[in-house]
Amino acid sequence: MNTFIDRFSTTSAASQVRKLKEQEEDEFSDAAWGSEAGFGNLAKGIPSFSVPSVHDPTAFLRLHTDDHADPNCRIKIQHGTTTLAFRFQGGVIVAVDSRATAGSYIASGTVKKVIEINPYLLGTMAGGAADCQYWETYLGIQCRLHELRNRERISVAAASKYLSNLVYSYKGMGLSMGTMICGWDKTGPAVYYVDSDGTRLKGDLFSVGSGSTFAYGVLDQGYHWDLTDEEAQELGRRSIYAAGHRDAFSGNTCNLYHVKEDGWNFIGNFDISKMHYEGPGNVPGAPGTGYGYDVRVLGRNSSNPPPPEAAPAVAAHA
Amino acid sequence: MDVSFALTGKGYVLVAADTTAARSIVKMKGDEDKIKSLGPHLLMAYSGEPGDTVNFAEYIERNIRLYQIRNLYPLRPPSAASWIRRSLADSLRSRSPYSVNLLLGGYDTSTYTPHLYWIDYLGTMATVPFAAHGYGSYFALSLLDRYHDPEAPLEEGLATLKRCIDEVSKRLVVAPGKYKVKVVDKDGIREVEL
Amino acid sequence: MSRSYDRALTVFSPDGHLFQVEYALEAVRKGTCAVGVRGKDVVVLGVEKKSVLQLQDPRTVRKVVMLDDHVCLAFAGLTADGRVLIDKARIECQSHRLTVEDPVTVEYITRHIAGIQQRYTQSGGVRPFGISTLIVGFDPHDTRPRLYMTEPSGIYSAWKANAIGRSSKTVREFLEKNHKDDMTRDETIKLTVKSLLEVVQTGAKNIEISVMESYGKVTNLDLPQIEAIVQEIEREKEAEAERKRSRLAATAAGQAAMSSRVGEAEAAQPSGQQ
Repeated sequence: MNTFIDRFSTTSAASQVRKLKEQEEDEFSDAAWGSEAGFGNLAKGIPSFSVPSVHDPTAFLRLHTDDHADPNCRIKIQHGTTTLAFRFQGGVIVAVDSRATAGSYIASGTVKKVIEINPYLLGTMAGGAADCQYWETYLGIQCRLHELRNRERISVAAASKYLSNLVYSYKGMGLSMGTMICGWDKTGPAVYYVDSDGTRLKGDLFSVGSGSTFAYGVLDQGYHWDLTDEEAQELGRRSIYAAGHRDAFSGNTCNLYHVKEDGWNFIGNFDISKMHYEGPGNVPGAPGTGYGYDVRVLGRNSSNPPPPEAAPAVAAHA
Repeated sequence: MDVSFALTGKGYVLVAADTTAARSIVKMKGDEDKIKSLGPHLLMAYSGEPGDTVNFAEYIERNIRLYQIRNLYPLRPPSAASWIRRSLADSLRSRSPYSVNLLLGGYDTSTYTPHLYWIDYLGTMATVPFAAHGYGSYFALSLLDRYHDPEAPLEEGLATLKRCIDEVSKRLVVAPGKYKVKVVDKDGIREVEL
Repeated sequence: MSRSYDRALTVFSPDGHLFQVEYALEAVRKGTCAVGVRGKDVVVLGVEKKSVLQLQDPRTVRKVVMLDDHVCLAFAGLTADGRVLIDKARIECQSHRLTVEDPVTVEYITRHIAGIQQRYTQSGGVRPFGISTLIVGFDPHDTRPRLYMTEPSGIYSAWKANAIGRSSKTVREFLEKNHKDDMTRDETIKLTVKSLLEVVQTGAKNIEISVMESYGKVTNLDLPQIEAIVQEIEREKEAEAERKRSRLAATAAGQAAMSSRVGEAEAAQPSGQQ
C-alpha cells in the first residue's frame, strides 16, 4: 500500500489511526465522502490499472519495447516529438508538432499532441503517446470531479501535482511521458512540466521532446515577458517550425493554442513545409515570407569583392 | 549533477545548493530552489534522483509541520535529523526506496548551537562542521579542511563558501552556474546573495 | 474473526431516530459554549472557558485550536473526542498540501470533518463523536471570512454568526437580534463577547477570544484586553439601564404631572364653566 496518508504514519499514534482507517476502509470507502484533497480514490494509492501479470513488469516491457537493444522488438514506442509551452503577459502559448514515429517509420503526420483536458487546461504529449493520452484524459476526469466536489475549478498547480503523483507511483514500471500542463487559474497563467520520473517544475518556458533543443534555440532568443499576443503566437510557431525542420523525428504540421483568462483558443494548424517556403499564411504576426533560411536570405551572400572604383585599375593593368 | 555545500560558523549554518534542474543534456530550469525550510530554524538541501528528491522533501516538510501544529513547538534539529534519517532508512528497506542525499542545517534556540548533519541515501548520518554532496564534494572537502573555522563570523563563512563555489566553477567540467545560499541563525532563516 | 459479527451500535429506532446521534447532541448541549461571528473582513471565535482548578495548569486546556495556518476550530462537547477529530483534521490539512500543493479551503476541511463525523454514525462498533465544531478561516487567494459549523450527525453549514454548546439557543437568538453585516473588527469582537456574556456569568476570566483578520493572521486576546471589552460592555449596559431608569422616571413623572394637570384641568373645568 503506497498511500499518502500511509506515508505519514511512522509514529505509533499515527499508525494506530492508520490501522483504524484500514479497518474502516473495506466497508466505507473514503471516496464516498470526498476526501484526500477531493481525489477520493488516491487514498488507496493509485487507480487500479493492470500491469502485465509477469514477475517483473518493467523487464517484460523493456524486452518488448527497447529498440536500441533489439531493433526487431514488437512494440515501438513513439519517442520523437517537439512540444513547447511558455507563459507571457498575455497568457500561455502552447505549440506542438504532429509527427508520430515508430522507429524510423513515420506512423502518422496528423497526431493531436495537445490534449484538451478541459476548457481551461491543456496538456502536451511527448514520450509514449498512449501513456500521455490515457493519463491526461484520466486527469481530465479527475479535474471534473474536483470541480463538482469543491465547486471551483482546479488550480493548474493541483492538476499538475495530481498527474505527477500519479506517474510517480508508477515510477520504474515503464511509463514514458514528458508533458506540460498549462492553464489559467486564480493565480494567472501557469505552466508546469511533469515527467514520468516524477519531476514537476513550475516555470515560464519549457520545451520537451527530441526536437526540444532546436525549439529552445529559437524560443529562448525571442522570448520575453512583454510579448504581444501576435508576437507570442508567431514565436511559438517559428520555434516548432525550427524543430520540425532540423529534427528528423518532428515535423509535418504545427498545432498552436493560446490560453487566456477565459480559457484556451485553438489558433490553427500550420504546415511546416509551407511555413518553410511561404510562411504561415495570412495570420496575425506572420512575417509575410517563408521561415526557411534559404528563403530568408534569398539574394544575399557573404562574398566581399573590392569596391567598384578598383575596377578601372584592373582594366588599366590589362 | 547536483552540487550542495553547507558549513557552520559562530551561531549560524550556511547551506548552498545549485539551482539547475536538468534532463539529459537540457537545462529545464535555472532557478529551482533545492533548499527547503522545514521550520523557523531548520533548512534542508536535497539532491539525487529526480522525482524522488522533491517527493521526499515535501513529505518531510509536511510531517515536520504537522508535528509543529500538533505540539505547538517545532522539533529541535537533532530530533528532526534522527527522524529524517529514520524515514530514509525505512524507505531504503521498502519496495521503492528514495535515493536522496540531504544536508540538514538547523539552529537550536534552546542551546544556542548551530547543527549540521550530512545524510546520504543509504541512511548514513553524520554530525559535521561542514559538508558537501555531489561532484562538488571532491573539491570542497579538502578546501574546507584547510579553511573552515568553527568560530568564523558570517562574513568569513560566506567567504569560505565562495571559495568552494569558485573552486568548483574553476575545475569541474559540469559546474553549475548559479547557487542559492541560505543561512539559519538565532533570527531564523534568510536567503543571502553571495 | 470478530469482524464477521454484527458490530452496529447506531441503528434506527422504529420511528426513524438515531438515538446515539441524538445522545451525542445532548453531550454537545452539556459542553461549554462557543461562539463564532463573521464581520466585514474579520472572523472571531469566542469560547466559554471552564474555570481551572487551583492546582491545574490552564495551558493544557484548549478549546480553540489551529488546524493549519489559516483555519481555526472551536468545539463544544466531549473534549477527548474533540482531540481525536482535531488530529484527523490536522493530518488532512497537511496531506492536502502534500497531494495538491494548495492549502485546504475552509469548506473543504469542514466537509472532511463532517464526513468523519458522519462515518462514525454509520459504522459498526463505533459511537458518534460527542462534539459540534465551529470552523473559521480564510480561503487561499480570497479575502472573505468564513464560518462553518459541524454536528455529530455529520451535517455542516455556513453561518454569519452561530453558537454551539451550553445555552446555544439563547446566544443564537441574541446573535440573530444583534448581528449586522459588515461589522468592523472591534464591533465583531464586542458582539462575540457580548453574546458570550449572555451565558457566562463570571465575566472576562472565563472567556477566550481568537480573532482572524486575514489569511493566516490570528491573534488571541489576552485577559486585560477581554476585561477592557467586558467593562466597556458593562458600562454601556449600565448607561443603558440608567437611561431606561431615567426615561422610566421621566415618563412616570410626566404621567404624574399629566394626571395632576388633568386633575387641575378637571378641577378648573367646573370653575371655567362657571
